[in-house]
Amino acid sequence: MLEILAQAVVNGLLIGGIYALVSIGVTLIFGVVKIVNFAQGEFVMIGMYISFFLATQFGVDPILSLFVSMPVLFVVGVVVQHFLIRRVLGANDMPQIFLTFALSLLLLNVALMLLTANYRTVHTWYSDEAFHFLGLYIPVAKLIAFVLAMALSALLWLFLHATDLGRAMRAAAQNRDVAMLMGINPDRVFCVALGLALALAGAAGSLLMPFYPAYPMVGQVFVLMAFVAVVLGTLGNIIGALIASLMMGIAESLGIQFIGADSGLIVVFLMLLLTLAVRPSGLAGGRAR
Amino acid sequence: MRALGGWTRALLGLLVAILLTLPVVVKSSFAIDICIRILMFSFIGVAWNLMGGYAKQLSLGHVAFFGLGAYTSTLLQIDAGISPWIGMLAGGVVAVIASLPIGWLCFRLRGPYFTIATIATAQVLMLIFLKFRDFAWGAEGTTIPNLGNAPLMMQFESKAAYYYIALGLLAIALAITYRIERSWLGYYLVAIGEDEDAAEAIGVNAPRVKRDIYMISAFLTAMAGTFYTQYIYFIDPATAFNFSISIEAALVSIVGGIGTLWGPVIGTVLLETTSTLLQSWLGSSTGGVQLTVYSLILMTVILWRPTGLIGVATEAYQRLVRRKPVQA
Repeated sequence: MLEILAQAVVNGLLIGGIYALVSIGVTLIFGVVKIVNFAQGEFVMIGMYISFFLATQFGVDPILSLFVSMPVLFVVGVVVQHFLIRRVLGANDMPQIFLTFALSLLLLNVALMLLTANYRTVHTWYSDEAFHFLGLYIPVAKLIAFVLAMALSALLWLFLHATDLGRAMRAAAQNRDVAMLMGINPDRVFCVALGLALALAGAAGSLLMPFYPAYPMVGQVFVLMAFVAVVLGTLGNIIGALIASLMMGIAESLGIQFIGADSGLIVVFLMLLLTLAVRPSGLAGGRAR
Repeated sequence: MRALGGWTRALLGLLVAILLTLPVVVKSSFAIDICIRILMFSFIGVAWNLMGGYAKQLSLGHVAFFGLGAYTSTLLQIDAGISPWIGMLAGGVVAVIASLPIGWLCFRLRGPYFTIATIATAQVLMLIFLKFRDFAWGAEGTTIPNLGNAPLMMQFESKAAYYYIALGLLAIALAITYRIERSWLGYYLVAIGEDEDAAEAIGVNAPRVKRDIYMISAFLTAMAGTFYTQYIYFIDPATAFNFSISIEAALVSIVGGIGTLWGPVIGTVLLETTSTLLQSWLGSSTGGVQLTVYSLILMTVILWRPTGLIGVATEAYQRLVRRKPVQA
């Protein structure tokens, strides 16, 4: 019994690392640009397909394709910020919510048209490898994904705290007007924020590819997880999002283990609704926006 | 009712005359089917718009009420033999009751997180109907027993009858919207939509107003659920709680003109016509085409004319007729 429990916790923790990459992206965009990116999951999907095509066309290992998916999605993020999101900043809720929602619909359905709904998988030499540690079963692909996800999260934290641009970003997040008075160019900061957030989503996609199938709707699971984690971890808080994501992974895994294989999503939604019911004021002081 | 302008009245009369005679003139069952879809989604859009448009509570979970309406009337019909006409009202009542806890939960949040919470509640409802098989047929769903021509059981041999029901529903929803627009409730809604804190500061009881409009919106949306199930003779969680219905309800309002009486109707005509043309052009085999086009239209509207097609039309009209300076 204890072994099953420990195994479920480990499984959840490993996938929670991927959730963390997506959540940190969502919370970074929310913190800096004050926009909820409904399309974040679709960028994970794009990251997965980039890795899939590099693997099947050129034989590139999905993990190595991080070096392609991350820069590509960084550029996509800058483009999305500059040509789309910038135009609705300062507007009311409707354009802000429905612009990224429309982007999500667009990317998902274009993928559906061009790539069909088929599941695509990449099989690497480590996809089926696993080792035993203290009686626990640890799949290599998931462990690599977890370790790299944590490393990337740490790098982002370092960037935000130890570089001028990172500090400028945090300053813009805290108070945009004062940051502007200090000579920070908000447009540039917002572009970098979107770029970094989407690069993280791309990384999540590449890291998933060795053990998770790519399909057009794949992002929806991850973005829902991310929304819940971001709410739980207090909006705009990166460490909060990270810890909440790991908890979500564990909760989902326990749900699958003890309630039923298809109950993962129910657990997630119930956690979201429970959070809303129990501590709505904890969600950014009652004004979750 | 306040006196309408002569031209407006004549136009409205002409429109009603055309709509009433349409099924007599149009015999193609395909064309009638499209008209019914347009009327039904206009109706859902108008219901969504009451809350999403005027009070700017941007729900993406209205399918929860659509599904509850559909399941209530179907359960009553199959298990107890009760006519869907009564089931339609019962479904509305169930939806109103359900809107209380859902609203209690979701209205604690504002902006995008309200939207996410509404998505989550609708998904939870769908998962419940999927999971509990002995309660309502589970994932397989069920067909509605075909009784031939049975008007008392909301079953008709001619599609024209369904057309008139949908037209009647839309007329009711438009009349309700028209009345609310000119009532205190309407002004409260607009005030909340503009700035909730400011509205509360001048004495608007925002939680109560939001709860009330959510109930009205839920009741109407549930009626559409019953109608649709009766029209297609089939129900399952994937159809009754389909996320795309939530999307379309919001989309038609935004594209047509959010927070306006006719906006959802105009939006539906544009979106449904586009989607039909695309389908006959490309064939329905290509998945994703319809929503790709919808999302492109939505983005265009948001980026260039957030007031929707109504806004574009009003500007053009003012430029043409009154030659008044137009605000951008």
